[in-house]
Amino acid sequence: MENIDTLSVLLTVPFAGALLSWVIPKGLQRLYAIFGSWVVLALTIYETASVLFATTASQASSLALEQKLPWVPELGLSLHLRLDSVSCWFVALNAVVALLAFSLRGSWYRKNPRLFTSLGFFLVFALNAAFLSANLILFYLAYEAVYVPMILMVGIWGYRAKATSVYRFFLMSFFGSVMMLVSIIYLVSLYHAQTGQYSSSLFDLIQVTSTQSPESLRWCFWGFFLAFAVKVPLFPFHGWLKEVYVNAPMPVTIWMSAILSKLGVFGFIRFVGPLFSEVAQRDQGLLLALAAISVIYAALLAIRSKGPKTLLAYSSISHLGFVMVGVFALTPSGNSAAILLSVGHGIVSSMLFYLLHLIEERKEALSLDTYHGFAKLYPTLFAAFFIGVLASVSLPGTLNFAGEFLVLLHAYPASAFCTILASFGVILGAVYMLKFYQRIGFGKENPDAVTTSGTAVKDLSGYDFLVLLALVAALVYFGFQPAIFLKGN
Amino acid sequence: MVSFDQLSVMMPWLVLSVGILVTMMVSVIRVNTKRPAQIFALLTLAATFFCSITNIPTSSEIIFHGAMEISALSYLSIALLSGLGIFFILGTSRYLTKEEIHLSDYYHLLLILILGASVLMSAKDLIVMFIALEVMSLPAYTLTGFRRNDPKSNEAAIKYYILGGALGAIFLMGASFIFGATGTTQLASIYTWSQNVQGDLTLFYVGHALVLIAFLFKVAAVPFHFWKPDVYEGAPTSVTGIMATMITAAAFVVLARLIHLVDLGNTQWLAYAENLKRLIRLVSALSLIVGSTILITQTNLKRMLAYSSISHTGYVLLGLLGTLSDPSRIYSVWIYIFGYSLMTSGLFVLMSQSEPKADQGTELIDLTGMLKRNPINTLFWSIFFFSMAGMPFTIGFFTKYFVFMSSMSAGEAIYVVIAALCAVVSAYAYLRPVGLMVMRDADPSAAEWRGSPVGHSMVFISAAFVIVWGVMPNAIIQFLKGIPLQH
Repeated sequence: MENIDTLSVLLTVPFAGALLSWVIPKGLQRLYAIFGSWVVLALTIYETASVLFATTASQASSLALEQKLPWVPELGLSLHLRLDSVSCWFVALNAVVALLAFSLRGSWYRKNPRLFTSLGFFLVFALNAAFLSANLILFYLAYEAVYVPMILMVGIWGYRAKATSVYRFFLMSFFGSVMMLVSIIYLVSLYHAQTGQYSSSLFDLIQVTSTQSPESLRWCFWGFFLAFAVKVPLFPFHGWLKEVYVNAPMPVTIWMSAILSKLGVFGFIRFVGPLFSEVAQRDQGLLLALAAISVIYAALLAIRSKGPKTLLAYSSISHLGFVMVGVFALTPSGNSAAILLSVGHGIVSSMLFYLLHLIEERKEALSLDTYHGFAKLYPTLFAAFFIGVLASVSLPGTLNFAGEFLVLLHAYPASAFCTILASFGVILGAVYMLKFYQRIGFGKENPDAVTTSGTAVKDLSGYDFLVLLALVAALVYFGFQPAIFLKGN
Repeated sequence: MVSFDQLSVMMPWLVLSVGILVTMMVSVIRVNTKRPAQIFALLTLAATFFCSITNIPTSSEIIFHGAMEISALSYLSIALLSGLGIFFILGTSRYLTKEEIHLSDYYHLLLILILGASVLMSAKDLIVMFIALEVMSLPAYTLTGFRRNDPKSNEAAIKYYILGGALGAIFLMGASFIFGATGTTQLASIYTWSQNVQGDLTLFYVGHALVLIAFLFKVAAVPFHFWKPDVYEGAPTSVTGIMATMITAAAFVVLARLIHLVDLGNTQWLAYAENLKRLIRLVSALSLIVGSTILITQTNLKRMLAYSSISHTGYVLLGLLGTLSDPSRIYSVWIYIFGYSLMTSGLFVLMSQSEPKADQGTELIDLTGMLKRNPINTLFWSIFFFSMAGMPFTIGFFTKYFVFMSSMSAGEAIYVVIAALCAVVSAYAYLRPVGLMVMRDADPSAAEWRGSPVGHSMVFISAAFVIVWGVMPNAIIQFLKGIPLQH
């Protein structure tokens, strides 16, 4: 417990990074961003290590780090940060994803590069604040603050239909989170009515909700549900996703699929579960059905999709459906399985989008209607791509296999039908991922595929190779050691 | 008798009144240069500001036989008004020159408006209220028509004048009905009267409804909002800013007083309180829905801000709704008025700083590609628009939070949900100009008029406060929480 006061470093360092980017020369922004995200990653590992590598369950739960500073007492808002076996994985994933997103080269380092790195670090800051907060209003503030860099990044560096897509994204998410705010205000006013004081600390509010009848909290539960269901997204709240993934610049796509969606998962595990356990239990059938439909429906859409980014976008919804099946098992073991799969999906989807960007750097406007035959030209790149695809279809030995297996195992007692339905998603996943790999990698070598500038583009660069190697190593290592994730609960 | 003590607590108002006379004389003597009048107006406002902010009384006192109340609220009101006055004079002086309406008359009219508004905020007598209302409104009509050669400005002035006159008449009629029912025009006596009443109260009900309607009109709550977009669009931008902040703030304080005209906690008035709640609920929900839905169809920035202020009226009414069951929740209204004045004044000064040359007002499309042309202004616009939308880390979030909390604690969950939905709708409208600024490339032919350095620093100050108080609102909340709605 000696480093109890150092938790806020995870917020101050990214924030300082956002400010510092304005004094770094434009040409050095990419180096600066990569260096900065390494610093954040190192700090995150240092902070989370004691919780991450705790050997026993009791040790892990006793090692939760907390930091509480008053902020606005009239709101019950305090800077209540908590790093425990739930949040440490999301914070760690955030640092890894930031490193990947900042590593990509593209128009964002040519047009307004300072703004890009600044917004990127601000995003890391806001996400860390959201994942660490044990105070509902603090969480809401961080949750909303995430929109600002997202909107601006898609707006400034996005492609064709960026305006429509970003408005749709913002409106749907904002609608959900405002409903969550109303629910938070309701809970805080209940606490005020009982104690005469304002508090929005999670633990205080859990005490309040435990005294209320589930019927009176029902609408409150759906307020939270809407916010997180839009964020994940769960069927039928996924309307915003495809357009914004396709039109966003690649780093933003990575951020959205790998970490923003986890904000919803985290919200369900951290807040909805403890606050509304009884209410959620009543509607469990509906919740599981929605998650299972997400798995199947999105997988079918992915099979039909024409563009690689669209395909990965739908596959993301499908895999997050699995995560939500685990969450809606409403048991601690289901939650840890969901966290495990979240980390797996975060790594795999950011890796696939990263690779897709590397491929698109070599040939723009890929279509899945024809074969491209890149595997011969870029063998190392496609080896990495192949591992990513296998992990995505949850081959045993990867983290995703452990995740999907455990999720289905723990959800089975709750609803056998939904679990069986969801498990078909594994097969459909193999269908679209293998098609994806086949169309891009195999077939006759295309002469115009070489490059646009005439010179042959190299295979993977040394830096990209190292990054991808580390990701693959993490996937395989955790695939064989999933127990690390499971001891917290 | 008026004693010396009573005069000394009136110091800020006296300073302001003397300043008005001096400024008026200066503008008569030096009729062709506006600089002396501007300097005297600034000096007057600065003196008023310091006079009021350094002597905030801890207790409240009724002076002039129940005509006015001297309390922390009244001192803060005049400090807020004179602070805003300084802000607008410094921020929009170059704009007035550009529009060729930089006349010395502008300044003493502005000072008279501030005097009227500040007396209105401390008035405890229906007659004083009426006089202060007229003192505030007459300069406002004149200032609205200041762009003499622009038909829109003339139209706005006439419209504002006729409707404002009608509203004055409605108020006076309501006041006379109340006088008929209660035998007094003083708010304190009406309150005492309400604690023990017998007989038929129809006359009072009608009178109360009429005075409330008059001020719902002034704050442009739906269905009394039709004048606002036209007046906002026609008036010079600086005057629109003054209307949007000073007049709105004064009208809301009076509205809060008038709603609490009788002792609503008293068992005799419980049924009436329910009826009042119904009225406020209806007007608030209508203002929110109409304001925020029409907001997204607007293409002119000033008209857009007019509808935006209509929807903000809905939020303040939501805060007032909470006070009907517990008057101590009034601080949510104070916080809203304060935060709204802060961001709106910044927004209007920024607008006057970046209006295209020789234009009738900024169209949204004029903002296109601002990021490339003027990144600093883009930042300011974004801060103000995000604050209007209620995004976190701006003062706009806390203002909304407290009014939601106020009516949620009063059990009005459905109306909070309606307000939240309207916040989503209006957020789209505020995001659209930001989108135009950052997502599209500029039209190279769009030559931009750049304001003065002083104006830009005013915008900077206001944006900085929007952020600082959006992150650290403690001081403001603590301060405003201690200010009750006096009876």
